[in-house]
Amino acid sequence: MRSAALLLSAATLAAQVKLPPYQRKELSNGAVLLTVSKPEVPLATLIAVIRGGTEADPAQHPGLSSITAAMLNRGAGSRSASQFAEDLDQTGASFRAGSDEQSTIVRIEFMSRHADQALDLFASALTAPRFDPAEFKKLVSERLDRATSLKDEAGPANSAYFRTFYFGPNHPYGRVEDELSLKTLRLDDVKGFHTKYYAARNMIFVAAGDVSASLGVAIEKRISAIPAGARHEWIPEPPAPVRKGPRLLLIDKPDATQTYFVIGQPGLHRTHPDRTVMWVVNTLFGGRFTSMLNDELRVNSGLTYGAGSDVQMDRLPGATIIRTFTKTETTVQAIDLALSILKKIRSNGLTAQQLHSAKSYIKGQYPADQLETADQVAAILGDIELHGLNRGEVDDLFSRIDAVTVDQANAAIRKHLREENLQFCLTGAASKIKEQVAKYAPSLRVIPISTPGVRPPEF
Amino acid sequence: MRFLAGILIAAPLLGQHLKVSEHVLANGMKLLVHEDHDIPNAALYLFFKIGSRNERPGITGLSHFFEHMMFNGARKYGPKQFDIRMEENGGANNAYTSRDITAYTDWFPKSAIDLMFDMESDRIGHLAIDPKMVESERGVVYSERRLRVDNSNEGTLREQLDAAAFTAHPYGIPIIGWPADIETWTLDDLKAHFRMGYAPNNCIAVVSGAVTEAEALKLARKYFEPIPKQQPPPPVRTKEPKQLGERRVIVRKQAQNPLVMVSYHVPESRHADNAALQVFDAIMTAGRSSRLYRALVDQGQVAFEVSAELDDAIDPSQWVCNISVKPGSSTETAEKALYAEVKRISDTGVTPAELSKARNQLLASLYRQFKTIAGKANLLGRAEIYYGDWRMVNQFAASLEKVTAADVQRVANLYFTETNRTVAVLVPEEKGGAK
Repeated sequence: MRSAALLLSAATLAAQVKLPPYQRKELSNGAVLLTVSKPEVPLATLIAVIRGGTEADPAQHPGLSSITAAMLNRGAGSRSASQFAEDLDQTGASFRAGSDEQSTIVRIEFMSRHADQALDLFASALTAPRFDPAEFKKLVSERLDRATSLKDEAGPANSAYFRTFYFGPNHPYGRVEDELSLKTLRLDDVKGFHTKYYAARNMIFVAAGDVSASLGVAIEKRISAIPAGARHEWIPEPPAPVRKGPRLLLIDKPDATQTYFVIGQPGLHRTHPDRTVMWVVNTLFGGRFTSMLNDELRVNSGLTYGAGSDVQMDRLPGATIIRTFTKTETTVQAIDLALSILKKIRSNGLTAQQLHSAKSYIKGQYPADQLETADQVAAILGDIELHGLNRGEVDDLFSRIDAVTVDQANAAIRKHLREENLQFCLTGAASKIKEQVAKYAPSLRVIPISTPGVRPPEF
Repeated sequence: MRFLAGILIAAPLLGQHLKVSEHVLANGMKLLVHEDHDIPNAALYLFFKIGSRNERPGITGLSHFFEHMMFNGARKYGPKQFDIRMEENGGANNAYTSRDITAYTDWFPKSAIDLMFDMESDRIGHLAIDPKMVESERGVVYSERRLRVDNSNEGTLREQLDAAAFTAHPYGIPIIGWPADIETWTLDDLKAHFRMGYAPNNCIAVVSGAVTEAEALKLARKYFEPIPKQQPPPPVRTKEPKQLGERRVIVRKQAQNPLVMVSYHVPESRHADNAALQVFDAIMTAGRSSRLYRALVDQGQVAFEVSAELDDAIDPSQWVCNISVKPGSSTETAEKALYAEVKRISDTGVTPAELSKARNQLLASLYRQFKTIAGKANLLGRAEIYYGDWRMVNQFAASLEKVTAADVQRVANLYFTETNRTVAVLVPEEKGGAK
């Protein structure tokens, strides 16, 4: 009965999805402008993708790219910070700027009838931020408060600790802004970062949504005025951190009644040839509700509200992680179970039926997850351009997914889901679990969550 | 949930009317269909008018628990089958429970629509409440409680705030349930609650996406119409008595920074003052030019975050302001700054620029929900429940235009008084203190 239904769904899902038509133009100053019309809703999105991101953060200033982005709308051009906020809010537009592993992304979404005001706000924030010292002081103070209060939320805190612990201080992905790094940051660092990276040759723009021809012209005109500057050269891939065995970092939060844990190992980079097969594999391992991890840890045993896995795919190889949480008393039971599922997928591999289900799931969800709204399409186009990919990334996706075989999936599992050298990061009540979790790694450190910063000493 | 913020908008201005067809099945279930063929997908949203509002001591959290149990097997599709079949056919789902409703949200490629109707009708009509699944799911829900409440300072404080703000009405009950009730509710409690809440005549179904009205109606007639009509939940008779003076709650807990939450009683969504309250809310907290961001964060430097909620509500509810106080700053100063801003509107009203800004912010917020078929399904179902008519999505524009500066000032004077407020403060404990 079930396999009949499977065959049926395979037939009906075979249709390929395509990116909508878009224009790509290289401007005389070196900026790239992509434009796509999607006028169903009277909203438009304009984004700038600036190469660099966390990769460009100096080792002594984690978060510099992110703080530079956060300063953009705190006064720009003729507007003070409060005038900028007033003019933006008057149109109902939303402005966001932040950075990820390889880029800074600045985004404005506005009602198309306010396009002129929105474009002016966006362009002045990007090209003429005031970098007012008083505003910088307020921003740093606000981020210090946020960095401190992060320690009140064990789950997010554990994710931050995992990054510094797993990647270490010599890898750009291991540099996390915290209350210690914020105290040494100077406004001149921010100004210098902006001058160097916010240059036309280093920027990709995408306009998507209810974009009229005249708005397209106006956008091009504003972007063309940005000085060319230089394109950021990607850093060479840093050596993977040498791990001579499993390690365990335990962040002690004495009042926690639940332990949050992440188990990490080396992941893939964004353009890795195994990226599609690992997407399919991870869907089954920990990427959806019926995945092996969630099924065992939540549905069968009731140990947690949710368990899953992620394969981080950024420009540099990231981490592949298992993540969940459980009450303090069942910490070991939950970790043991997670490890047994890792062992099981390695020893048993996947079946054709499992693979078929994962493929249908990815293809069924993809249109709504990635191609439904103008801002989703803008994000995909920016990503394709940033990583030097082409529209085949979307247009051929379903064919690539369909082509994944059981043998390929099982080979990828053996290669990318390993059981050795696992890196454990836990946040919980150390006095209640420390002795029991010592069995996972001879190399173990306990750090009180009250210790300033999120950077454990190397061990 | 704040979708209502979006509803109050000048639709005539831009011709963004949602086209919807409406049918009532023989068993009383209401069906709304909105066609949108932009992507080859559809969303099916089922809204049951049952939530923590329909609970009492001993069975608190049961509506939310049911949200979980609905995935644990029925007559045709046994345990796990709902998720397994859905995912292998390209679908995904979630669900949420509020004080007033329990909503089931399915997103799937159009090829899976027949299966979705079949599986939904199976669990509405023939849910199997397996004692073994009940015990396992109890653990899952307790873990969710630890995540959202016990290990979250905001969650802990909000639970205490609501319990103090409502002395009689069940809006004071936490949606996730009190710990002792999660541990002890029985199989009989579950069965009774299911019979009451999951009557088809207590449900609104919304289909949005790549499906025609005729297709959706045919499927609804085939799968939903045969489910027999039942007695819906009894009316909630309790009314919260008028508050006679400020109430205060203190929570001591390990924390990096203090928190302040201030609740004022305000009327239900259908009340004539709702539009003016939405505008008041936007002027106070929407964006960095809002009054509270300016007074508390930007200029006052007493908080690093301020937000507020005006929830959709069937019965008279609350406007709640959340303030993350800077570590080391005084909660009294933060409170005073809030009260000063409330008083400023009460005394001198709002400007025309603030009024037009609020309208634009609310309009943009509505359009952001128009971007997806899921957003539209949610919007239509909630409008039907909280306003009694999905057309409010298209019509509320006019009522927003009608809101005047004098209306905003009037509601500020009427509801935002010292007597009508409840204040909860989280005081950070030294290490090794409270658990």
